[in-house]
Amino acid sequence: MKKQKWIALLLVCMMIILSACSGGTSTKDDNKNSSKSSGENSAVKRGNELVIRVAGDPQNWDPIDTFLLSWSTVATSVFEGLVSRSLDLEIQPGLAESWEYKDEKTIVFQLRQGVTFHNGEPFNAEAVKFTFDRLLGDEGQKGPQYSNYTSIDNVEVTGEYEVTMHLNSIDPVLLTKLSGYGAVIVPPKYIQEQGAENFDMKPVGTGPFKMTDYQRDKQVVIERYEDYWNKDAIKLDKVTFKVIPETATALAELQTGNIDIMTRLEVSQAATAEGTDFIELMDVSTPTAYSIRFDTAQEPVDDVRVRQAINYAIDKETIVKEILAGYGNLISSFQSNLSFGYNKDLEPYPYDPEKAKKLLAEANIPEGTTLEFFIPGTDGTFKEIAQAVAFYLEEVGLKVSINSVENTTFQSELIPQGKAGHMYKNGWGGWTLDFDNTAYLMYHEGEFWNPSFKNEKVEQLLAAERATIDNDERQKVFKELTEVLYEEATEVNLYSEVEIYGVNKRIKGFQPPHDGRFRFEGVTVE
Amino acid sequence: MLSYILRRLSHTVLVIIAVSLIIFFAIRLTGDPVSIMFGAGEPSQQAVEELTAKLGLDKPVWEQYIIFMKDLVTLDFGTSYRSNSPVLGMLLERAWPTIALALGGMAVALLIAVPLGILSAIYKGKSIDVFSRIFSLLGISFPNFWLAFMLILIFAVQLKWLPVSGFDGFSSLILPSIALGLILSGILVRLIRTSMLEVLKMQYVTTARAKGIREWLVIIRHAFRNALLPTVTFVGLQFGGLLGGAVIVEQVFSWPGIGRLIVDSINQRDYPVVQGGVILLALIMILVNLIVDLCYSLINPKIRTGRGDN
Repeated sequence: MKKQKWIALLLVCMMIILSACSGGTSTKDDNKNSSKSSGENSAVKRGNELVIRVAGDPQNWDPIDTFLLSWSTVATSVFEGLVSRSLDLEIQPGLAESWEYKDEKTIVFQLRQGVTFHNGEPFNAEAVKFTFDRLLGDEGQKGPQYSNYTSIDNVEVTGEYEVTMHLNSIDPVLLTKLSGYGAVIVPPKYIQEQGAENFDMKPVGTGPFKMTDYQRDKQVVIERYEDYWNKDAIKLDKVTFKVIPETATALAELQTGNIDIMTRLEVSQAATAEGTDFIELMDVSTPTAYSIRFDTAQEPVDDVRVRQAINYAIDKETIVKEILAGYGNLISSFQSNLSFGYNKDLEPYPYDPEKAKKLLAEANIPEGTTLEFFIPGTDGTFKEIAQAVAFYLEEVGLKVSINSVENTTFQSELIPQGKAGHMYKNGWGGWTLDFDNTAYLMYHEGEFWNPSFKNEKVEQLLAAERATIDNDERQKVFKELTEVLYEEATEVNLYSEVEIYGVNKRIKGFQPPHDGRFRFEGVTVE
Repeated sequence: MLSYILRRLSHTVLVIIAVSLIIFFAIRLTGDPVSIMFGAGEPSQQAVEELTAKLGLDKPVWEQYIIFMKDLVTLDFGTSYRSNSPVLGMLLERAWPTIALALGGMAVALLIAVPLGILSAIYKGKSIDVFSRIFSLLGISFPNFWLAFMLILIFAVQLKWLPVSGFDGFSSLILPSIALGLILSGILVRLIRTSMLEVLKMQYVTTARAKGIREWLVIIRHAFRNALLPTVTFVGLQFGGLLGGAVIVEQVFSWPGIGRLIVDSINQRDYPVVQGGVILLALIMILVNLIVDLCYSLINPKIRTGRGDN
């Protein structure tokens, strides 16, 4: 018996020593370990080639077949649109050098000359017409991009390097939408010869990089295109996007110098990343906003006073400070503060539990009323936020029952069918960064993700902001819209996301993109 | 022997039919894939109908099943909804990494468990036995994702001896194999130890010793070979499990295996990939079981396949 005890003790000691050796684990409790580890920066050996971590693989590179962020992260360097949007979200000339609105429903584009696709095919008006015929025709209609471009009736070739776009309705966001996703220009000859299936796997565009290798769920390699029309701006030779779904693994790769840039670093990992001396953190505001949306068809949240009370009861500032370590921006409407339509003069609901209790009493809500709160099971951070929310609501006399559900079922069935409880996690981020997309899908009666909300005034305002391309006019309409929605308290607006990037210090000139679409112009390595 | 194999093949067909029925109908209960494919878009009713028709989902379920089975006979597993690629191709891309990982995990498990199991049976009650029993307990108690992360932290980040993730050559196989195999070895050690203890008590072992045969020969050739039977059964079943069930290890190490593909496809409601993947795994399990059963007669000639004894 004695021998057994000694051996057991020895094993336990070994375990403790092993655990202590591995400083810098990425569990939430280990932020305290921040001793700087100065390892050699082995990334330098890679020279003029970058390796970037991405979390997923879009499976299909055809622009009309996708809506995924993981697509545009890579594809922004492979394809281009008539219009380009800079890292500072400014609209600039892309494949079109200039454009002019002849009237509200007609735009004439003067195309850039001397541009070729990666396979040598020339870029011209025919290629543009082909692209939009494809997007708006049978093939495009089967895909998720079509509905973004329904305002375009057709594109007419009016010169070798000139096209005229005829619209069937006014679309104030069109120019932005022409800078990416479904509207990027594709090569007619290549698609006709190779067929759509091959194009899915081996895409060809006009962008600064060509895709030279694609291994599904493993990595994508893009290499500098020597005949790019703006090639002097590109200094890198090659970029590899490695698919690493698990964030802890990605952090380990960053710490060993195997990857240069890690996207979507978690808040709990920030201290560990900073602890490595050749890693720096960069944070950037994103278009994604998070809220707790109410199902206004369910009692008691059908009463606006209850919804307002819940807004007053939650201390959002503390949530952002404590749970997100400050990596989040408070918002007063369901959009990022970068979004066109954001109302800077509108303050978010302040933390006022007394006012909350008063409103609940006015609405005759008995103490201990239970609310069902649905959240997707995959989001660990939001689970903590949900628990904080439950705590705050308990302080004002409401009980919260948190239901964690499978993500896809949550998004595609529970929410649209109104089976996601009284309130549920809602996250939205349009790459267009214009409130039009979000507002319409969330507040227009009958939309897929809007099972219950309807409001006359909101409908009027939505129609109004879509009816003009005058931005000052739209700004005014949005101002009113955000105020109406604020009064209606359709949701509790929590915060807009701030994404953290872990970057190897040998990379110079890198600016993290707001919308996840990497731009490599001007990026160099030491 | 031949009649035995033919009988097994006919069982195989029955099992595949049963598995395909279950997976085919079960996944259709999880929801509609068409709405997911449009994502945030607002598809027109016409677009939804066209895509549903293109995927063959507008037909009655029984008809869909018949079409699916007909294609299956010609080894056509269908086309992925997400990537428009043939499912069989997608599965075969991942066949080698999956098999390599399962073999690696099994090798680690056997390399640890066989010597440890045998030694702890021979020296029952001594320190080596105690150590192996504690090791066994730890092995089955470790959560595999924790073990995987610990291995990465120690050997890849701190010591920099091995790569962190991905499948890039033999050195990248080591850590994932240990993560899979260490836990498996916990159970295997106990099994081998118990089987060996049983066998060492047998008459023929005493006889062999009495004949003057050297001890290590007695142990390896006489005792261990007979102790192998339950072990081989277990290893066979576990191997099948390793092929499809290493999902967590695959996730942590970004390993391009079939398990991860199936889980991702379930999340995205990519029916053809899930169906094809599950059926492929079922086929592999059946094949492995057949090999295990055939091995029995190699290990113990007394067990003839198909013929009753006495």
